[in-house]
Amino acid sequence: MHTGALVIAMNRYLNQVRAIVWKDFITELKTRELFSSMFIFALLVIIIFIFSINLSIVKASEIGPGVMWVAFLFAGTIGLNRSFILEKENDCLQGLLLAPVDRTALYFGKLISNFSFLLIMEFLILPIFMIFFNIDLIPHLLPLIYVIFAGTLGFCTIGTLLSSLSANLKTRDIMLPILLYPLIIPIIIGSVRMTSQVIAGEPLSSMTNWLSLVLCFDVIYIAVSIMIIDFVLEE
Amino acid sequence: MSEEAKQSSSILIWLTALAFLIGMAAIFIYVPTEQMEGAVQRIMYFHIPAAWLAFFSFFIVFICSILFLWKKEREWDIYALASAEIGVIFCSLVLITGPIWARPIWGAWWVWDARLTSTLILWLIYVSYLMLRYQTEAGSMRARFAAVLGIIGFLDIPFIHFSVLWWRTFHPPPKMISPEGLGAGMDTSMVATLMLSLGAFTLLYFVLMGQRIKVEKMKDEVEQLKKDHLYSN
Repeated sequence: MHTGALVIAMNRYLNQVRAIVWKDFITELKTRELFSSMFIFALLVIIIFIFSINLSIVKASEIGPGVMWVAFLFAGTIGLNRSFILEKENDCLQGLLLAPVDRTALYFGKLISNFSFLLIMEFLILPIFMIFFNIDLIPHLLPLIYVIFAGTLGFCTIGTLLSSLSANLKTRDIMLPILLYPLIIPIIIGSVRMTSQVIAGEPLSSMTNWLSLVLCFDVIYIAVSIMIIDFVLEE
Repeated sequence: MSEEAKQSSSILIWLTALAFLIGMAAIFIYVPTEQMEGAVQRIMYFHIPAAWLAFFSFFIVFICSILFLWKKEREWDIYALASAEIGVIFCSLVLITGPIWARPIWGAWWVWDARLTSTLILWLIYVSYLMLRYQTEAGSMRARFAAVLGIIGFLDIPFIHFSVLWWRTFHPPPKMISPEGLGAGMDTSMVATLMLSLGAFTLLYFVLMGQRIKVEKMKDEVEQLKKDHLYSN
């Protein structure tokens, strides 16, 4: 009986999360404004870097991972900024908060949609990055996917929390990166290090310290977000 | 403010002034000049206490943020604000005194050493914390948001510490920065002076906290008076 009630409650919660993710995907499929701007922006960042770095002096495999993550980071910030501001229009956020949904479900829904938008964008950028920097990523694809997955998740956990916060500010577009960037420096350092090591052909087992740092970051900030999201999304 | 509170706060101020006076005498007259580094080494007696105060203040911000979210009392919000401002000031002092010492000793204003880097990131986190506070209208929303940032900012410190440490292990830092060289080879008079300075700075923290809290409470009072008398008619 008890387990049955638990399963029903779990299912209801998952349905709530799924509804929010679904809503975000439908909106995005209809407008296509977020995804296209993120993609083009990431592309522009990479191109600007190529013009500002002399690739005949610097080795592409040394500078490449950094450029790649800066592009992901900047494009990801655009996505995060939109994620809650979109809900502010027409008071959609008010509606979501009034719905009989747990606040953490709202957080997880937003986290999953931000995370998947960013991942899709990143995997479309990868081939372009490969061509422009002349780095062959295909033999290292599996560990690379793992690293990108862990790094992007860390960026999105804290990013989703802060974007739900900054959406309420007057200067939201400026405040999100100012609040977010200092906090995700560990993730950036870890992801760039791991990516360069992966590209150099080292196995994942040689970078367990970085992997555990990034994964710990992911887990701790998901836990903290669950605990404090109620205080952010309060009307 | 009650008479007793006023009295104890003025005692604290005088005590701090006295501690600083003795501290200055110890730093500039009593303690011998370090043989290798010369007079510039005396900046350590300001640098280390400032660093200690910065970390202490940020810890207090963390504690007060948790207490605010728990109890929802304006009091804790004021404490967190006061402590964050003091912390940022002392963290700035650390970032200023450090390069002044580093220039003649290392031959460079700034080195991307682990400790320097993490102090800089810490400074950025709490500057953004203050920006968030100043850019939001007073009220429950500002207090909640600030508390959230006060908590996640402090929890980030271990991650910053390890990431920056490992980041630098790829390029070993110069031998001079090694932390073992500081405390181990120090003369007792130097340790005593440092302790005195630490004590004086800690007293200063409480004086500043008291003053800042008083100012913030006065502001609240003025707001309340405005509401009661100016807008009610």
